[in-house]
Amino acid sequence: MLPYRSRLSVVGFLLPPLLLFGGAVLLPIVQSVYLSLFSWDGITDREFVGLENYRHMVGGDPTFWTSFTNQLGYLAVCLVLQLGGALLVASLLLTITRGREVVKVLYLLPAVISTVAIGLLFQRIYSYDPVGLLNGVLDDLGLGSLSRPWLSDVHTVLAAVSAPEGWRFVGLYTIIVYAALLAVPRELEEAARLDGANAWQVFTKIRFPYIRPVWVTTTIMATTFALRGFDIPYLLTNGGPGQASELVTTYMYKTAFTSTNYGYASAMSVFIVLECLVAVGLISLLLNRKAVR
Amino acid sequence: MTSSPTDTLPKPAPAHGGQVPPSRRSQSRVHARRRRPLKPAQVVSRVLLGALLVVQVYPLVWILLTAVRDDADFASHGAFGLPQSFTLDNFARAFEQGDLGRNIVNSLVVTLGASALIVVCGMMGAYAIQVLGFRGSRVVRALFLVGIIVPVQVALVPLFVDYAKVGLLDTHLSMIIPLAGFSLPMSLYLFMSFFQYIPQEIYDAASIDGAGPTAIFARITLPMSVNTIVTVVMINSIFIWNDFVFGNTFVLSEELKTVPLGLQNYIGAMGKTDWTATFAAVCVTVTPLLLVFLVLNRAMMYGLESGATKG
Repeated sequence: MLPYRSRLSVVGFLLPPLLLFGGAVLLPIVQSVYLSLFSWDGITDREFVGLENYRHMVGGDPTFWTSFTNQLGYLAVCLVLQLGGALLVASLLLTITRGREVVKVLYLLPAVISTVAIGLLFQRIYSYDPVGLLNGVLDDLGLGSLSRPWLSDVHTVLAAVSAPEGWRFVGLYTIIVYAALLAVPRELEEAARLDGANAWQVFTKIRFPYIRPVWVTTTIMATTFALRGFDIPYLLTNGGPGQASELVTTYMYKTAFTSTNYGYASAMSVFIVLECLVAVGLISLLLNRKAVR
Repeated sequence: MTSSPTDTLPKPAPAHGGQVPPSRRSQSRVHARRRRPLKPAQVVSRVLLGALLVVQVYPLVWILLTAVRDDADFASHGAFGLPQSFTLDNFARAFEQGDLGRNIVNSLVVTLGASALIVVCGMMGAYAIQVLGFRGSRVVRALFLVGIIVPVQVALVPLFVDYAKVGLLDTHLSMIIPLAGFSLPMSLYLFMSFFQYIPQEIYDAASIDGAGPTAIFARITLPMSVNTIVTVVMINSIFIWNDFVFGNTFVLSEELKTVPLGLQNYIGAMGKTDWTATFAAVCVTVTPLLLVFLVLNRAMMYGLESGATKG
């Protein structure tokens, strides 16, 4: 803290960031809550309907529930790929002796590419006619019977639109988990090994508990990112076929900007915010409590 | 949570070359171990790592290979195999069909504008909270945390309505404002964690010499933060450059479209998608970013690692 500081200088430095943040983030949140209490198409007058939008969302709109379960599926695929992948790769990285930095950079490459480019890429990867990358690989492996139009098959489409998002950020979480694993004191591991612990025991009893705080942060990041996942499903299938890959986010987007039902869309966006807050609360509660035990 | 490897650095941790320890440490071990043959477990982990690397990188290589193939070669070929033909026609067609040049200019405007806002506002906010300090600073800190947790979709409808009211729809600013606003918290936190490292004595000495808060900010904090600024700009400009949802919502006219929005036009623009040209376009838009990333990745890695591990 500076010894000489005036209230004016604090205000002067704080005002620009607060204005930007307030205008772009805080105000819209408040407005969303407000708009969610109205029925409004953007042209005619707003009509106050109280909690009707929320009642309709929870009780009278099967599409919403479909999209919510789909979002959970999307979340599951992303978490398994990103966190599982990150932990696996980071642990593997520790076993190699050279080229770690290069491998890290290469893993991070997909995170640098725009979602639209990834959408285009995966459209080709999943393509059935002409044969795309995935079906081609299956054919080459003699698993040609498995090949299918991944994006128009209702059974595979949800996994197909989730996987690219998982794939994209594996590198990001790998780097974070790897940095944490590096900080685990070598002496602890050596001591455990001398006591006869095998690799799995070293991992579960020493490494993982040590990186748990970072793991909580990473899980929260991955979860909130997946709950707001939008670009790739929207670009690849726009929720189709039918509602097989509709997420809460894409449904909300369509409600707002295709059906111009601003009130109902706002209610859904408030739901997405709550969903994220609940997820963050649950994760820190569950993972931190285990740490205490 | 003082577990990051960079924590051992005594002074303000430099953004570049922030992590020397791992490679150094392991290198000395290499020589001792080299003479012994690899254990089976090591072979397995190497193979696994290599296989996963192929999954991560091959799709990107595939973009490049497709971009230099001619149509017939692309259609007749399976997933693997080197191109039988080499052509740059695809790139010519990509530039003809789309408006890549203009898209790139728009993306530059948006990225530079938003990055400038993030750096200026992030530094000022972090300075007020971390260096100046004031009653209620914890509340302000928590307020910014909201911006990290809350999904961007919540801002779409309200901003659309507000923009329509004040005539900001379909402008560069309509993208810059929310992109900067939502990236601000993360950069503010990065700046705060860096400002912690600037020793109190420096401030005390400057104060005794009669420097006020503004002078100290301009003469001490700002010049010392250059590395952190590079990190913040690197991390955020990738997210900003790639933004799809704000641009897709707020921008309608072709003249203002950024690179991701321009790329979207290639899907079915001519009835049937011209894949080799599309991949050439993807190539053109992705390559500069990849090059910047490959050159400056250390700055970015440092930010990611310290950002998460110092929470």
